[in-house]
Amino acid sequence: MLKLSHVRKSYGQNVAVDDLSLDIEPGEVFGLLGPNGAGKTTTVNMAVGLLKPDAGSIELDGQGSPEEPRVRAKIGVAPQTLALYEDLSAIENLNFFGQLQGLHGPSLAKRVAWALEFVGLTDRGFDRVKTYSGGMKRRLNLAVAVVHDPPLLLLDEPTVSVDPQSRNAIFDNILALKAEGRTVVYTTHYMEEAQRLCDRVGVMDHGKLLALDAVERLIEKHGGKSVVTAQTAAGDERIETDDPVAELSRLQAGGKLEHFRVDRPDLEAVFLNLTGRTLRD
Amino acid sequence: MGELVALTKKDLKILLRDKTGFFFTFFFPLIYAIFFGTIFGSFGGGGSGTISIAVVDADKTKTSRAFTESLRGTPELDVVEMGRDEAVELVRRGGKVAYVALPKGFGVQRDGMLWGEPPTIEIGLDPSRQAETGMLKGLLTKCVFEGMQDLLTDPDKMHDQIEDWVASIKADENVDPMARTALLIFLPAVDTYFQSKPREKAVADGEAAGESGGAAGFQPIVFESTSVARQWDRPKNSYQISFPQGIIWGVLGCSAAFGISLVTERTKGTLVRLRMAPIGRWQILGGKAGACAVTTFALMCVLFTLGTVAFKLRPSSIGLLVLAMACVSLCFVGIMLLLSVLGKTEQAAGGIGWAVLMVMAMLGGGMVPAFFMPSWMQTVSHVSPVKWAILAMEGAIWRGFSPSEMVLPCVILVGVGAGCSVIGVRAFSWTEQS
Ligand SMILES: Nc1ncnc2c1ncn2[C@@H]1O[C@H](COP(=O)(O)OP(=O)(O)OP(=O)(O)O)[C@@H](O)[C@H]1O
Ligand SMILES: [Mg+2]
Repeated sequence: MLKLSHVRKSYGQNVAVDDLSLDIEPGEVFGLLGPNGAGKTTTVNMAVGLLKPDAGSIELDGQGSPEEPRVRAKIGVAPQTLALYEDLSAIENLNFFGQLQGLHGPSLAKRVAWALEFVGLTDRGFDRVKTYSGGMKRRLNLAVAVVHDPPLLLLDEPTVSVDPQSRNAIFDNILALKAEGRTVVYTTHYMEEAQRLCDRVGVMDHGKLLALDAVERLIEKHGGKSVVTAQTAAGDERIETDDPVAELSRLQAGGKLEHFRVDRPDLEAVFLNLTGRTLRD
Repeated sequence: MGELVALTKKDLKILLRDKTGFFFTFFFPLIYAIFFGTIFGSFGGGGSGTISIAVVDADKTKTSRAFTESLRGTPELDVVEMGRDEAVELVRRGGKVAYVALPKGFGVQRDGMLWGEPPTIEIGLDPSRQAETGMLKGLLTKCVFEGMQDLLTDPDKMHDQIEDWVASIKADENVDPMARTALLIFLPAVDTYFQSKPREKAVADGEAAGESGGAAGFQPIVFESTSVARQWDRPKNSYQISFPQGIIWGVLGCSAAFGISLVTERTKGTLVRLRMAPIGRWQILGGKAGACAVTTFALMCVLFTLGTVAFKLRPSSIGLLVLAMACVSLCFVGIMLLLSVLGKTEQAAGGIGWAVLMVMAMLGGGMVPAFFMPSWMQTVSHVSPVKWAILAMEGAIWRGFSPSEMVLPCVILVGVGAGCSVIGVRAFSWTEQS
């Protein structure tokens, strides 16, 4: 669907994206996970033709570079920096951006209503955006990305400052889009989101792709061992193991187990193991 | 094309929502036009009641001098005496409404007006100024009669005059024999009659005689009109000056507002969203330019219509006015694109932009009308597009420009617009850095 080959982009001395190759499969939700400054936004901006890579090439669906308007019409983007007209209402924003995508008439009205529903803003549709809360603006920013029903969605941290309830609703909607065959690239530094939503995750740091695989396989490969913390009559025990179930049965068989916790490795652990740092430092 | 319309509509919507912006675009120019139009209307124009004329006395007789004096004494006239060439030039330049020339022989004719050719007065004025022509002729006739009334109310003057008349009738062989006989009997009889009357009564009868002096068939004066084509028309009222000026402020305001809004698109991130849409860069700038053009044009239409309906603006040519408006729009759309690259932030773009526009307005006659400026400043004003914008609009309102006279200001306006557009589009920064 979207193919980046040996893409490189630098700002002066600072290399933002370094020899990055990605091949996003049609119909998958692909997560780009990395800390601040990893190069996620730079990658998204190149993928939509906003930035020209210094080296390498980007191709969309075998149709050419997204620098061509005809090609990037297939992409919907929720940019990380909010991009909305504050003096217009949500409906007017959606109408306007829908028209730029070539929609008009009843089909435009239908899509606008659908996009508002998608982010749960139907009852605030006529209000001016400047009267919205931060999270509501973020949700509208996402609605604009989906209004023209593009086959490929690039969502750059679309749920920052969105409350958990709306966030869950959005996740469900993204999964519904996936079920309809849409392709989604989702950047985040929340590993819970990546873990819940994404079929595959690319881990980025300092402009480089460190690992790329399905979440389970990443954890298997780079997550390290599970940690079993148990309270026994003999005192507390902390055991690192590949097989926590076996450890727990062993402790249980000893008849001494009063309380226990199993910490399975997650993407955070993957990142820590890959970079020696946590995701959010 | 649909995208361009969507972009333009979006900007218009945002402009209409911005109350301050809307005020400065539409109401400020209107208030300016009405305020200054009214103020100048009550000061200037020489008190609108008087007609300012030049008198050319080529006769230089006692009678012609007396006639000039009686014109001077007429409160409705503002009289200056001068040579003929100077008078013609002044009328051509609009400094005087008309000149009145008393030809050689005026005195003789005036003195023999009862029997010979009536005196001839040449009036030189712009044929289009019918109202003033009528009034001026009336006043001149009144002065001729006033001379006669003088005679009728003063028996001594009458006596002298009748003696003069009798002498000249006897000397003049061209007088019709019937009239000669009648007058030689009639005039001495009149003299005797006046001399024998008590003074007070003479006054009363004299007035009666004066009134009947304009009886049917009697022509006291012949006007010979010379048309002096106007080189420069004068505005017919002060609104014809204040409206183009007010409108210029509105147009400058639009130019600044849309220039700044392009910067806002960049700082607020919406420019990124526009660039992600499947439209070209020229469409993004074209949409902004379209919105600016539509707004300035609408502004001019609304204000000129209001001016015409409510403030006697009366443009001399609607067609040329529309042409002028279109050229002004194009010019300031280009300037808008240039303003948008002058600053990185809205504050910077706004500050620098308004400074540039202020200088343009000051130089170009947006504050003080150009014809009030000293001549060196009028020369400097050529560099300001505002000057040409006002000239084009005035050309179609009161300067009575012909289509070929409109070419220069229009070409300059469109040229400035195109030049500024090219620079603005090339220098436009599409990303936040750099
Ligand atoms: N416009 C720019 N000018 C100069 N440097 C930039 C610019 N944009 C990004 N960078 C640099 O490029 C690098 C990658 O930035 P990028 O925005 O792609 O990171 P990110 O992964 O999206 O981070 P975040 O999670 O904070 O959004 C950073 O070092 C950043 O400083
Ligand atoms: Mg980012």
